[in-house]
Amino acid sequence: MLSTAHRHMESTPEKAVNILSGFKLNWMNLRDAETGKIMWQSAEDMADPSLEHEAHVPKSILKCRTVSREINFTSAHKIEKFRLEQRVLLKGNNLEEWFFDFGFVIPDSTNTWQNVIEAAPESQMLPASLLSGNIIVETLFYDGDLLVSTSRVRLYYD
Amino acid sequence: MGLLEIIKSFKSSQGREIRILLLGLDNAGKTTILKQLSTEDISNVTPTKGFNVKTVAAAGDVRLNVWDIGGQRAIRPFWSNYFENTDALIYVIDSSDRKRFDETSVELMELLEEEKLRRVPVLVFANKQDLGTAARSDEISSRLRLTEIRDRNWHIQACSAVSNEGVPEGINWVAETIKTKPKG
Repeated sequence: MLSTAHRHMESTPEKAVNILSGFKLNWMNLRDAETGKIMWQSAEDMADPSLEHEAHVPKSILKCRTVSREINFTSAHKIEKFRLEQRVLLKGNNLEEWFFDFGFVIPDSTNTWQNVIEAAPESQMLPASLLSGNIIVETLFYDGDLLVSTSRVRLYYD
Repeated sequence: MGLLEIIKSFKSSQGREIRILLLGLDNAGKTTILKQLSTEDISNVTPTKGFNVKTVAAAGDVRLNVWDIGGQRAIRPFWSNYFENTDALIYVIDSSDRKRFDETSVELMELLEEEKLRRVPVLVFANKQDLGTAARSDEISSRLRLTEIRDRNWHIQACSAVSNEGVPEGINWVAETIKTKPKG
């Protein structure tokens, strides 16, 4: 048992480095989910997780009854327990929180996750002027407990 | 009926997560069907080298996850990683690709023998009916010996993913079937 535990401790960091180096966020978009129309798509390479990305979205998206957020990623290595946490933050406060378990990720695969969400009733919707620049969509990617990558997108409603 | 309306009709079952698996050979039209489910542009669909998951959540506790997994030969051995907790299997066939009827039949039969997919209802989409060379759904039924399936609910639906014809009908069958036969 001891030797197993020892081996496990040794192999974990190496595995982590492998998964991290082989993981890449490719793009992200926002849609009006009723029409399927893209309202914003990241143009820049999203691979650098240290950057905060900016999304300028037409403020008409706040009138959409359903919206979708879609994210595309590539993994060179297989991942056993892939999951993500997505939060929508208004000045650092949680407005929404989503958890999703993918489980297995195929080696050398490119994958998408699209989350289709019913918007809050218009009466509860904050005005664009208040939201613009203060909303961050944060997505954290994990293999089990290991943080694989992070994406932060700040939303501006123009 | 849109996906959101479908899951709203599940409202009675609290905290439910519905899992639909979309499988079939490469170039069968799985991703196009997935995109049609929320009226997205289908002109830029490329071969799926992994999975596409669409999660639909309505107010309330029901979530619908549709998993479209690539059908290329190299990817098929990984399909089994995604079987667990499946509520319905949608198997998509290119009805115009007669050369591959045997291949797709073998893949489907293997899926139906999987322990983790036992009793999981199966919808077969006889896709690409917009092509003149497409086999009709009754021909596909007999070629794939669907009529011999006894251990689960099954249904074949002729459709055209590019025109969306038949797709809503098939999805409605899946929704009704899951509703009357909850998993577990």
